[in-house]
Amino acid sequence: MNRNTIKVALIGNPNVGKTSVFNELTGLNQQVGNYPGITVEKKVGFAKLSEYTKATILDLPGTYSLNASSMDESVVIELLMNKNDKDFPDVAVVVSEVENLKRNLLLFTQIKDLEIPTILVINMADRMIPKGISLDIPFLEKELKTKIALVSSRKKIGIDNLKQLIINYKELSTEPCLNASSIDPEYFNSLRRAFPNQLLYKLWLVITQDVNFANLHRKKIEENSFAKPKADLKRLQQKETIKRYQFINDTLKVGYKVDKTTATDFRERLDRVLTHKIFGYVIFFGILMLIFQSIFDWSSIPMDFIDETFAVLSSYAKTHLPAGILTDLISEGIIPGLGGIIIFIPQIAFLFLFISVLEESGYMSRVVFLMDKIMRKFGLSGKSVVPLISGTACAIPAIMAARNIENWKERLITILVTPFTTCSARLPVYAILISLIIPDKRVFGLFNMQGLTLMTLYLLGFGMAIFSAYILNKILKIKSHSYFVVEMPGYKIPMFKNVAINVVEKTKSFVFGAGKIILALSVILWFLGSHGPDKTFHDAENIIETQLQNKTISGEKDDLVASYKLENSYIGIIGKSIEPVIRPLGYDWKIGIAVVSSFAAREVFVGTLATIYSVGSHSDEETTIKNRMAAEVHPITGKKIFNVATGVSLLLFYAFAMQCISTLAITKKETNSWKWPMIQLVFMSGFAYTVSLIAYQLLK
Amino acid sequence: MMSFQEIIVYLLLGFAVAFLWKKFFGKKKKDKDCGDGDCGCH
Repeated sequence: MNRNTIKVALIGNPNVGKTSVFNELTGLNQQVGNYPGITVEKKVGFAKLSEYTKATILDLPGTYSLNASSMDESVVIELLMNKNDKDFPDVAVVVSEVENLKRNLLLFTQIKDLEIPTILVINMADRMIPKGISLDIPFLEKELKTKIALVSSRKKIGIDNLKQLIINYKELSTEPCLNASSIDPEYFNSLRRAFPNQLLYKLWLVITQDVNFANLHRKKIEENSFAKPKADLKRLQQKETIKRYQFINDTLKVGYKVDKTTATDFRERLDRVLTHKIFGYVIFFGILMLIFQSIFDWSSIPMDFIDETFAVLSSYAKTHLPAGILTDLISEGIIPGLGGIIIFIPQIAFLFLFISVLEESGYMSRVVFLMDKIMRKFGLSGKSVVPLISGTACAIPAIMAARNIENWKERLITILVTPFTTCSARLPVYAILISLIIPDKRVFGLFNMQGLTLMTLYLLGFGMAIFSAYILNKILKIKSHSYFVVEMPGYKIPMFKNVAINVVEKTKSFVFGAGKIILALSVILWFLGSHGPDKTFHDAENIIETQLQNKTISGEKDDLVASYKLENSYIGIIGKSIEPVIRPLGYDWKIGIAVVSSFAAREVFVGTLATIYSVGSHSDEETTIKNRMAAEVHPITGKKIFNVATGVSLLLFYAFAMQCISTLAITKKETNSWKWPMIQLVFMSGFAYTVSLIAYQLLK
Repeated sequence: MMSFQEIIVYLLLGFAVAFLWKKFFGKKKKDKDCGDGDCGCH
């Protein structure tokens, strides 16, 4: 039986529900990666269209047109222009949205000019009745020279029809729906004569884009006598866009009707409240409060359960596996190290749940609009809010999200300040420190103090980002013009499937991304903590016994031996050598090791401490990470290590320090220079050190 | 003579060091040529 696989490219403007269509077609059968050589997210899914036909579906970044103004958009153009690309589609599925069809069709008409079989999906069809919209599908299909699938990914309507259209893609017309070359027939005829074997619209795109494409070099075209100056080409590009919109207007005049009398819309009323100059901010602040309260309140039960489970697992491994070095590694290194990351799954999942719901509902766009007024005063654009909010998940995609900021100065400032926003990797560090130093009490019987502290840290990060932007705006001498356009999608009840996929994907990447590093570091840290270079380490038992007999020390022998061994192990020697630098901040050498190792990723901090304390303890009582940290005392003063002064100093250090090697790498990539990541590193870490030093010295 | 457990531990240690080295210092693929306009980055 002949089974075939169709290559499908899913293309569309941002906010048209492209990802929902992708999720409906592929289910959980997805792979997320990057385009080769660049860090634009690449999502590929697999769909079974019929018994004999499968499809690989490529979800391309959202783009408004084939005139690239950002890197995300250039990915789409480059793929559609290069037939030799392994992902070049058999059929392009352009996803549009029923309420914004006019704007969405610009991209559609451009793709049709590339003579690729193209299907038009009109999504969110369930909104036609409340909006009073009616469509003449046969007329639109005839004018646009395509097949249309009327889809509601929310109500799961039209997906089967879309699958059928994809199966029959060979029947689709590849004829363009308008003659764009009529804007300057003489120029286009010369172009056609010079390159008879090339598609005319493809040539036009090569000339007008800033991207070089495989097998086609702009220079060849520019060398011709009919080549035009850049300014003339820009004018022609504008004429082309106007011509396309004329065609779209004429088509929609007949095929798209809106009857306002039957529309039942409450969007405008809701917008007035949510973007109100006072209530808008009050509501946003209230939502933030709710999120941070919930992160602490709701996740405490599963977190305690995970913590206990790992403690039991560790002691089970120790007592039931054959005694030896491997058993020690498993029970003292790997299990506590992994426990230090898995324990935070509930909090991370709740954070992403809230972010996904806010994005899906359409509220996030209102936040962007609301914040633009504030952002402008600090040299940022309203579009900077997206990276700053995405930064609550991870600074890496957030910095990449700054690509849609057209103005280079605003983009650079956004890239430099985004790492100040509290990313999910800081959450484990904050969570454990807050639970150690802030009492679990309620203020006014309503707000949990730990939740309020967490929210304060988030606001502190955001405030520092804004303040740094203000300073950078004054310092950087880059001339630029800026404008702000934000799309206001309609309000929607978030789709469970989309939210669930997002939460699962993000949590998975947090656990597996950091998990591998933590696992590897746990092994190394355990080894360094369990081995030492000289006699003092190996003779620990005799030395302690002698000291106990001479009564120079007192305490439990096993604990004293473990502690002595740790101090004289490799890790102890490394830690002691950096102690003079970190002691003024209130940290001992063990915390110093955790701070240094967490430069790989912030969340490593907790896993490292869990491993170090596990190696250095023989007590059966303090089995959980939190208990071990709470029980840690200074060997000389006998005071608790994690007191308010040290805790606040650490919280502030992690709030401001550039503790992420991957963020530095992405800043280098995005700015194409080592200068900016180095400035980021020196400024952020220097500032963090100073603030933590002041805080500790004042509070101790 | 090294015991079975010791061999496994040293192997795991080697893997862990190699993994972290590759992760943070390994060679990355070269960037594509963005052209004169630098992909609109600047």
